[in-house]
Amino acid sequence: MYKLDRKLILSASAIAAAMLLSAVSANGATETKSTAKPSIDGGVYYPVVNGKTGPYSVNTKAIGKKLNHGRVPTANELKAWNTDVMPDGTGLPEGSGSASDGSDIYDAKCVMCHGDFGSGGAGYPSLTKGNAYTLKGSLKSQRSQDGAEGPVRVFGTYWPRASSLWWYIKDAMPHQSTGTLTVDETYALTAYILQLNEIKIDNILVDSDYVLDRAKFLKISMPNKDGFEPNIDGPKSLPGIRAYYAKASNFGGQKVKPSERCMTNCQKPTAKIVRIQNGGIKEFVPPMATARDLPKEEAKGFDAKTAYEVNCAACHANSSMGAPAIGDKKAWATVTQKGMEAVYKNGNNGINGMPAKGGSSLSDADFKTVVDYIVNTSK
Amino acid sequence: MNNKDSLFNEKKLDRRDFFRKTAVLSATVLAGTSIFAADDPAILEEPEWATKWGDPVITNMYGVPSKYEHNVTRRSTELLSSGNFRASIAVTPIHESKGIITPNGLFFSRSHGGTAHIDPNEYRLMIHGLVKNPIVLTLAELKRYPSVTRTHFIECPANGGQEWRAPQFNSLQFAKGFMASAEWTGVYIKTILEDLDIKPEAQWMLAEGGDSSKMGRTVPMDKVLDDAMLVWGQNGEALRPEQGYPVRLLLPGWEGNLCVKWLRRLEFAAEPWYCKEETAKYTALKPNGKAIQHFYANEVNSTVVSPSPEIPWTDLKDGAVVEIEGLAWSGMGTITGVDFSLDGGKTYVQAELKGLVLPKSWTRWSYIHTYKKGEKLLLTSRAMDDAGYIQPTVDQETSVMGVESVYHRNGVETWEVTETGEVTHVQIRS
Repeated sequence: MYKLDRKLILSASAIAAAMLLSAVSANGATETKSTAKPSIDGGVYYPVVNGKTGPYSVNTKAIGKKLNHGRVPTANELKAWNTDVMPDGTGLPEGSGSASDGSDIYDAKCVMCHGDFGSGGAGYPSLTKGNAYTLKGSLKSQRSQDGAEGPVRVFGTYWPRASSLWWYIKDAMPHQSTGTLTVDETYALTAYILQLNEIKIDNILVDSDYVLDRAKFLKISMPNKDGFEPNIDGPKSLPGIRAYYAKASNFGGQKVKPSERCMTNCQKPTAKIVRIQNGGIKEFVPPMATARDLPKEEAKGFDAKTAYEVNCAACHANSSMGAPAIGDKKAWATVTQKGMEAVYKNGNNGINGMPAKGGSSLSDADFKTVVDYIVNTSK
Repeated sequence: MNNKDSLFNEKKLDRRDFFRKTAVLSATVLAGTSIFAADDPAILEEPEWATKWGDPVITNMYGVPSKYEHNVTRRSTELLSSGNFRASIAVTPIHESKGIITPNGLFFSRSHGGTAHIDPNEYRLMIHGLVKNPIVLTLAELKRYPSVTRTHFIECPANGGQEWRAPQFNSLQFAKGFMASAEWTGVYIKTILEDLDIKPEAQWMLAEGGDSSKMGRTVPMDKVLDDAMLVWGQNGEALRPEQGYPVRLLLPGWEGNLCVKWLRRLEFAAEPWYCKEETAKYTALKPNGKAIQHFYANEVNSTVVSPSPEIPWTDLKDGAVVEIEGLAWSGMGTITGVDFSLDGGKTYVQAELKGLVLPKSWTRWSYIHTYKKGEKLLLTSRAMDDAGYIQPTVDQETSVMGVESVYHRNGVETWEVTETGEVTHVQIRS
């Protein structure tokens, strides 16, 4: 049928044939037959039978034909996009960088989101909580009771492979301008994050003098490398995954024959109603509402709030970027203590990390209005 | 209306009174009008729209909802956001949902580096790795492959994931809105693979986005050769930018995160990639300290949609016959039934399925209830699928998964209806 590889076709057809047995049983309320080879996710496989897959009609004449669209990518095109890095080092380029260099790059490009020494902030992830080998033990912690400490899921304690970090930094960091770090900078930042997590490579602790290169990188053994199931490595992993998801108890699933499901007396006598504590979470954007009314008339002309959101919020929404946060009365009291004219002037010219007018193209008058809006909102 | 109610509430009616009042009531019913209600100005007074010209037909050449519907909108929360809403979520107003299709403008959206706006003329898809013939396709070339159209939900596996320890959102939108459903048009990847001659040692496919986050995920060949699709159509039009315009991966029933948006590259290999979003995130930690990785399918699930905390029963009359309505869905197959409980899952009866019942799709269910003013209820639904799964109780699920797994929570949900008809989100636990 397919001109795909024979082995693949055979295994796919075997699944299809096996699942067909269960698919034709009465009124859809099937139990998976024990003879059926499981689909990889534990679910139902809907083969194409008599021109249909499930309820959908299929043009089976479209199957098994070479269609001959597209063209072959050039070597340069492949090189440009094929930048992934795999655990065995596939795709990892030669290069090097020290943890201390990484620390400098971090302070210039990363600290505003990930916090001092990778401590996290403003919804951005922490990169460390301390010694990864010790804190890995926390993965068994459950916050079942109030006040209990939860598991620490940061790079050092949780991630199974270091290649994920290198690849992610190189292709997807810094968040606002991705793909701008060099190979050596990426090694340096990786070394710094390893240092923050107190990781050892070949039994040598990564300290600030440590110079990470490709050979050393490939020797990294992450503390939680065996912390995941099912196994996905090696040529036999797919059958293993199929077996894993065939067993409902592995992932909290419940299988029951429809005729045997509980319809009465389904609760223990200890069952109780658990309600939302302290009002729950309700800070929604926009606020919750269901009324069918007319929207509030939008302010005509220049709207300082919108201009703030477009031009200023990236840094002033909270204090993580080092700028005074909107609404922070104390911070703005300090900013305005020399009078508003000084604030306008500093804003117009730029101050500390802030470029002139925050990098916006607002007119002087509009910029002043936005400054007033921020200051008034922060009183 | 209160006058009418009092007819039935009066305890002592003598016989003559009874006949007289019954006669009045019968006359009322026959005439189809109420002699007790005040005249409604909405009927008696002609509004402007009834007498004046409306908009010319050339207004809004791409239509927009009525201005009165402005509160029907996606919502976000800073609690689940980073990057100034660039690595964040916008959740679907499930409480306003109808049928099994979500309007494109309300479709659940999650991005890791903001919404990219890709020029379709410069769109390229590269497919390479363990194949004999790697290819690059333009959008026009991709669309020339024989297409299929399928209705599937896409659900974030963290839907409900904030509530492992206790309910937190008194809102259906936030408790269950990390999902939406659409009719998708695209091509099966297995159709394209005819042109590539995939090598036998290929076990895995990397799907990578072309947005600034370069979001990637590893997909097993089983799914690639089954129903994995590259889609460009959403409810009869192009994908919205928030859904990955011009092309996204669709893995029916599987974690939304796997359905990579702004897709630009597929690579085949013998070993998996260990992408950041399949290790650091989208892995479900169990109490023994081991985490489930490659947790593909969203398991069987359901919720009551009407009533909801957002649209409660505070205005319901005593004796009103009302439809309790909901959604059921399974990423593992087709919904075969939904059970419904008025006492929080102590006793169940079978609810009715409504409309189309499709694989890996939202399915509507319904239960007709006569409302007694002041009654207290605990509304719980429990769905089953043709893979043989049934929704676990909260206790059953947490006994295996603990409370720290974040993802793939599908234990039954409960709405508490209070004496005044308010609806609040609760959980039943032992």
